[in-house]
Amino acid sequence: MSPALEATGLGVRYRRTWALRDCSLSVPTGRVAALVGPNGAGKTTLMHAAVGLLRPARGSVRVAGEAAFVAQDKPLYESFTVAEMLTFGRRMNTRWDDAAAADRLAGLGIPLKRKVSGLSGGQQAQVAVTLALAGRPDLLILDEPLANLDPLARHDVMRSIMAEVAGRELTVLLSSHVVSDLEETCDWLVVLNGGRLQVSGDIEELLDGHLVLTGPDEASAAGTQMVGGSRTGRQVSMLVRGAPPLDPRWQARRPGLEELVMGYLRSPESAALPGLTGVGA
Amino acid sequence: MIWVTWRQHRAQILVTATFLVLLGVLLLGSAMEASRYVAEHAPPGCPGAAVACGDLAVALGQRYDAVYSVFGWMPLVAPALIGAFWGAPLLGREYERGTHRLAWTQAVPVWRWLAVKLSLLGGAVVAGGLLLSLMVSLWRPVFRTGVDSTFGNIGVFNMVGVEPAAWWLYAFALGTAAGTLFRRTLPAMALVVAGVAVSMFTLFQLSDYYAEPARTELSGTVLLDDPDARLVSAAWVEPSGREVAEPADSGCPRRVDVGQSSKNAEAWQACLFGKGYRYAVYYHPPSRFWRFQWTEAGILALASAALGGLAVRRTLRRPG
Repeated sequence: MSPALEATGLGVRYRRTWALRDCSLSVPTGRVAALVGPNGAGKTTLMHAAVGLLRPARGSVRVAGEAAFVAQDKPLYESFTVAEMLTFGRRMNTRWDDAAAADRLAGLGIPLKRKVSGLSGGQQAQVAVTLALAGRPDLLILDEPLANLDPLARHDVMRSIMAEVAGRELTVLLSSHVVSDLEETCDWLVVLNGGRLQVSGDIEELLDGHLVLTGPDEASAAGTQMVGGSRTGRQVSMLVRGAPPLDPRWQARRPGLEELVMGYLRSPESAALPGLTGVGA
Repeated sequence: MIWVTWRQHRAQILVTATFLVLLGVLLLGSAMEASRYVAEHAPPGCPGAAVACGDLAVALGQRYDAVYSVFGWMPLVAPALIGAFWGAPLLGREYERGTHRLAWTQAVPVWRWLAVKLSLLGGAVVAGGLLLSLMVSLWRPVFRTGVDSTFGNIGVFNMVGVEPAAWWLYAFALGTAAGTLFRRTLPAMALVVAGVAVSMFTLFQLSDYYAEPARTELSGTVLLDDPDARLVSAAWVEPSGREVAEPADSGCPRRVDVGQSSKNAEAWQACLFGKGYRYAVYYHPPSRFWRFQWTEAGILALASAALGGLAVRRTLRRPG
């Protein structure tokens, strides 16, 4: 199956600094991909390049079919009514499902006659997501869709996106710097750090392929590929790839998503990418 | 896209249209009142150059000035407003609110978004400018038979012919380009106001060179008998035929005038004329009206195209 999103050697430069370097990744169709990384890692840059808001300096990024984008801060025209926002979407798109959009907003209890500026932050986010979905995209790209939302609104927004994914063949790429937001919904992970791609892969496979080892400082971890670790007193805790070590003093367990992400972000030199056999630190 | 353009810019379109309609009503009312006054009070053969028409001319002049003072500021202020409220927000507001990331990630490509908005709004601005010019051109002759000032008076010149349309379009393009430069509305508006003022002053200075000035030599007076001509420069011609800025060793006593009187200057000029001096005047006759109109409109149209191209280039290069 062809990937929904594919970047090859992608590099984006702002004046003299590289926001994204040599980034090659692909997200398979039908996945819900989490794009995580600290602030300034290049998440927004990657998304903007994917939807054509930025011209890459190097390489290319390609979307199979139509992409819809919800930018950070979920921009809408504040002086428009919700109904006028829908008209905007209809006039600006070739594929447009007006009935589905109206149904969605009715289901969410958002009045069509209300001005956008009169909606709550959560409602504005829902209108922005509704607009993006009504264009019947093949790929939905959401930049920090949950930022600035209260926990209830976060839950509602995620649930409505997931309902759409369950209904039809839709690939989603959403960014966040809060990993816990994504744990239950995403099945693909992309980690960016300092403009470089660190991890790209199926979440279950990644978790199965890594171990968290805890043991005394002097224990030998020979036979494993270390991603990164930390020391508390004489105890060492580290994230490794592959099989458990021979030294029996280690306690091994499967990492959580957050532990996996943190392990990589703390060691920017490590990477887990398809085609690489692992580059130990 | 047409609906989107209308919905986003209807406030400016409606305010401008309302203003033009109100001005039209004012001009129509004033012209009708003046026509009735002429019909009721004009002596036979008036309006005209005859002495008997003097009172009528004064009465019409007062009516003209009263209305002209209402919109005499328009040559400068109208383009500044058009640039600030039609041009500056076009891209500046989208960037400022982040809505460009909404508008330019729909199925309609960025270049088409730009093409439709620039052509529709630019077209509307040109139409508005032409309408203003038409109204002023129909209104003025009611008051000013025989005394024309469409060429000599730069304020009137900028309100008739193709000038308003050219200035409005230029201001619109300047505002649009400023919006991409600052990516914010308010600084773009400020730049437009300053830019229009500077451009108008510059073109006014430049207009002397739109054509080679005509030259005429006067004797007995220093005043050109055509009040609508544009004076470029003047000089004295010595009896020997040499042109000088200030006559030297002419032997005529030159005393400085005090207050409002020009008695001493006139006596000095009369003395010079008596000694065979002549006064050379370089000027543009009113017959060059259309030549000047099209020259200035051409400059402004080229500048508009350049600014519009700059705005498009900057936008397409980095839409995000």
